[in-house]
Amino acid sequence: MSYVDAGYVAAVGGCFLYGLTLFLRRRRWERALAVTESDPDEGTIPPGARD
Amino acid sequence: MSSVQVNGSVAPTVRTPWRPRWLMVVGLAAVVTTALTVWLGLWVTPPDEVQGNLARLLYIHPAVATVALYWAGGVALLGSLLYLWPRTRSFFWDRLAAASVEVGAVFSALTLITGSLWGRPVWGVWWTWDARLTSTALLLLLELGYLALRRVPADAHIRARRCAVAAILIAIDVPIVHFSVDWWNTLHQGGTILDPGFNLHVHGSMLWTMLLSFVAFTLVFVWLLAMRYRIEVLQDAVGDQELEISLTERWNEDAELVGVGSGVPGGDEGQAP
Repeated sequence: MSYVDAGYVAAVGGCFLYGLTLFLRRRRWERALAVTESDPDEGTIPPGARD
Repeated sequence: MSSVQVNGSVAPTVRTPWRPRWLMVVGLAAVVTTALTVWLGLWVTPPDEVQGNLARLLYIHPAVATVALYWAGGVALLGSLLYLWPRTRSFFWDRLAAASVEVGAVFSALTLITGSLWGRPVWGVWWTWDARLTSTALLLLLELGYLALRRVPADAHIRARRCAVAAILIAIDVPIVHFSVDWWNTLHQGGTILDPGFNLHVHGSMLWTMLLSFVAFTLVFVWLLAMRYRIEVLQDAVGDQELEISLTERWNEDAELVGVGSGVPGGDEGQAP
């Protein structure tokens, strides 16, 4: 892999990976919110939901 | 660490999911323009007369650096100032600044990585303590410090105020990074597209590809910022819910204790159940 290819992979791949982590984090927090809103007696955040 | 401490006892209540439709349009536009940038940058534009194919890295590195410095730094500064200003104080600005700093940290890291990948074959070194490189690394460290500060347990207003001050410190570094090539003798080159006299350095397809890369990474930034902002909203909403649950549990425990105490006169009210 050349320096040029590595640079493009780093920039585009880095943005993509970060976007993917944001997507997954958002899903976790949406689930956590759904849990707390649906059943206040069991309203704890699922393991791993914290950042 | 309790959730109440993390999100603060006075965190704003946010129950409505924030999912704007324009976000999908921005995301699609970001994907299309980024793909076009890669295609034009790697296959369509000619090699540079001096740098050869290495000049293709300049279709991404300046754009990534622009996002890290000006867009992320600007949004973080704006959000922090508007939070600190009493008339505009709102957690919207605090969340926006926090989201911008995190996205900015990612772009700062990518700026250093892509810069090193260009510097190694052109300068002969991965890293040098050049003013531009050092001030950019300092920017990344400041952004990481901001993110660490945000995790320190505190009331939501106190945390927001601390972070707003930290974001202003980050913003102070931005003009230092920008003018570092003018203020000091640096290995890093000056303006990539324009020189101080606003004369163009790049022309033709190379210019259009570079301009497209600025649009592409700006769209990527907007999409990532919105996604990160939504997570901030969700975190606050979950924090509110947990606060209510904790308070309800506490009230129930107190009520049980009062009940036990009143049922057993002279008994062990002070002992834990």
